[in-house]
Amino acid sequence: MEGRVFDAQVVLSPKDSPLGKVLQEYVCVRVVRMDDVDVALFDRDWNNAIYFFALNSDEQIYLRYGGRESASPDTYNSVDSMRIALEQGLALHRKYLSGELPKQERPKPVFPREMPLLVERTFARRACVECHLIGDFQNIQRERDGVLDKLTHLYRSPDIKTIGIELDVPKGLVVKEAKGAVAAAGMKAGDRIASWDGTAVWSFGDVQYRYDKVDRHAKQLRIGVERDGKPVDLTVDLPPRWWWTDLRFRQSSVDPRLDFEDRPLTDDEKRQLGLNPDGFASRVKYVSEFAKIRKTHDLRVGDVIVAVDGVERDEWANTAELFLKLHTKAGESAKLEVLRDGKRVPMTLQTNILSFRK
Amino acid sequence: MMRLFAFLTILVSAAGLRAQDQFITWRTNYREALREAAQTRKPIFLEFRCEA
Repeated sequence: MEGRVFDAQVVLSPKDSPLGKVLQEYVCVRVVRMDDVDVALFDRDWNNAIYFFALNSDEQIYLRYGGRESASPDTYNSVDSMRIALEQGLALHRKYLSGELPKQERPKPVFPREMPLLVERTFARRACVECHLIGDFQNIQRERDGVLDKLTHLYRSPDIKTIGIELDVPKGLVVKEAKGAVAAAGMKAGDRIASWDGTAVWSFGDVQYRYDKVDRHAKQLRIGVERDGKPVDLTVDLPPRWWWTDLRFRQSSVDPRLDFEDRPLTDDEKRQLGLNPDGFASRVKYVSEFAKIRKTHDLRVGDVIVAVDGVERDEWANTAELFLKLHTKAGESAKLEVLRDGKRVPMTLQTNILSFRK
Repeated sequence: MMRLFAFLTILVSAAGLRAQDQFITWRTNYREALREAAQTRKPIFLEFRCEA
């Protein structure tokens, strides 16, 4: 079970431990059923099996704690950084009580019992409203209503490592190493991230939540850091596909299952093969056993996918796999043009839908 | 037998009290936590844990 060790570390914090001493300043509450949770107020990436909020009795949220990367649910969880965040929460609470912190507008409440798909498929079966089901059904509903924006709703929680940020996790938002886009913008090791896209942040959970709210068309991102006690504003030029994350851990999402993985061809490879330099031609690097069992396609490792449904280039995709994920609905089929042994081979690919699991 | 039972009862209760005293108390009812926070003027730390 994801997050089990961290959960135990937090819940079983001795009162005399550094974390326990701060927790005693709060009314601590642990909710394990999502049935009656206001999913609008406590909006988050629902593929986190453990997540925390610091708030007050007026339901004003001070900060979030939690969040994960695709590779692991535990990368950003640490009792030390939680203590730092909670101390900040106490400072914000004091400000709120003294009237220094403006009241935020509360979103219109939405409860799981008002979500038709959850009612139909989960409540009706008296099954547990698992966190991820809330996100899954939100997306299925969006897809049905024609408002699913895959860049935003499917590729949730962009990875800060993509723009070069490596955090010193036990120290909260202190940067351990700055590389790539953020280094080019002037971020340095030792900086403490203080704001993200113009909003104050106090934890990795805050950063990831704010990052998720950034328009996927954005070309630049403002990050505020504290360096030697002074504020420094940075403008980061976002690289292509800064929003992309590995979806494999989102096992019940609406993305079409393709039964293969690929990698983009290099410029040299495209030149040698005489392919469109701006195209998304990609080389197959993995074929799932399910492809044979389900007879979904006949791709082989090493094949080059040149086009999908006659299309060779795309504003967002740099591989055929990503193009299919973004432009195909789960369950639909697509026509591939594949380069194999120097010959162009037409091929049909049938995608799969996993919503039956719910 | 009765004396052994009484001894064990005291032992278990004492262990329970010690555990209660040693660790943070986590409420399980969000609405009650809101009320308690309003009365005590404390902030709330809310954990959502999906155990499925």
